[in-house]
Amino acid sequence: MNTPEDTIDALLREQNAYIDDNGFTARVVKSLPRRRRAWLRPTLLLGTVTIGSLLAVWWLPWGNLPPLDPSVLRSMDSQVLMPWVLVISVTASLVWGAISALERRD
Amino acid sequence: MSFTDADLIARVLLHEDHNAFGELVRRHQSPVRAFLVRMTRGDSHLADDLAQETFLKAWQKLYTFRGTSRFSTWLFGIAFNEFRGAARQRKELALEDMAESPPELAGPSGAAGSNLRLDLTEALKLLNSNERAAVVLCCQNGLSHEEAAQILDCPLGTLKTNVLRGKEKLKRRLSL
Repeated sequence: MNTPEDTIDALLREQNAYIDDNGFTARVVKSLPRRRRAWLRPTLLLGTVTIGSLLAVWWLPWGNLPPLDPSVLRSMDSQVLMPWVLVISVTASLVWGAISALERRD
Repeated sequence: MSFTDADLIARVLLHEDHNAFGELVRRHQSPVRAFLVRMTRGDSHLADDLAQETFLKAWQKLYTFRGTSRFSTWLFGIAFNEFRGAARQRKELALEDMAESPPELAGPSGAAGSNLRLDLTEALKLLNSNERAAVVLCCQNGLSHEEAAQILDCPLGTLKTNVLRGKEKLKRRLSL
């Protein structure tokens, strides 16, 4: 014996009739714009990150970074901290750029 | 030789192939348009406009389709978002919240056969948009609860509640 749920499901499925195209597909295809180039954004970002990385390697004082110990951190000596802040900022920007370039977006 | 959806999607992505996309539209236009007709309470002109927007958006964002779900599921998701956007513009969602329990809902029907089908169409219009979407996707289109929850972007429990509540209202309206 059919339950009311079965009847409702059956009626709904029965009403799921095919809708004739009647030119719908042609209208859609005719109005298609140029598709956004999926490769453009990651390519630009990765290019920028690569150039940024080369400049960072070239310009940043990697060999002359002052040692970081707790007493220096506590003293908040800007002479010591500034190079580290610069290095960390640039590295974080490059990592963020690389991640953004490689992630898929919905 | 017939191509799968995945083949056609690959052709669109690689060659910007309008014919391949046209074939995808031809395959999926009926369920998407039928879903939107239900969601717009039978306004087939608005439904077709929304369906066209759905496919245009699909064309532009096809590279974000990861293939983890069926292509039709992904399309229903875009279609529902288009409907929600249009409803928000028309402030329909706010209005229907105020009319949560329309008086006709409790009225007995007593109809049979084709009248029952007509009544079902009318009864569906009385559900709120979340219940209507849940019932149409799960009961009419045969999607799983998980797929429907993904499309409607809601928790699985909420989706199941909406299906149950929607069917309960239909039963009461149709006196089943």
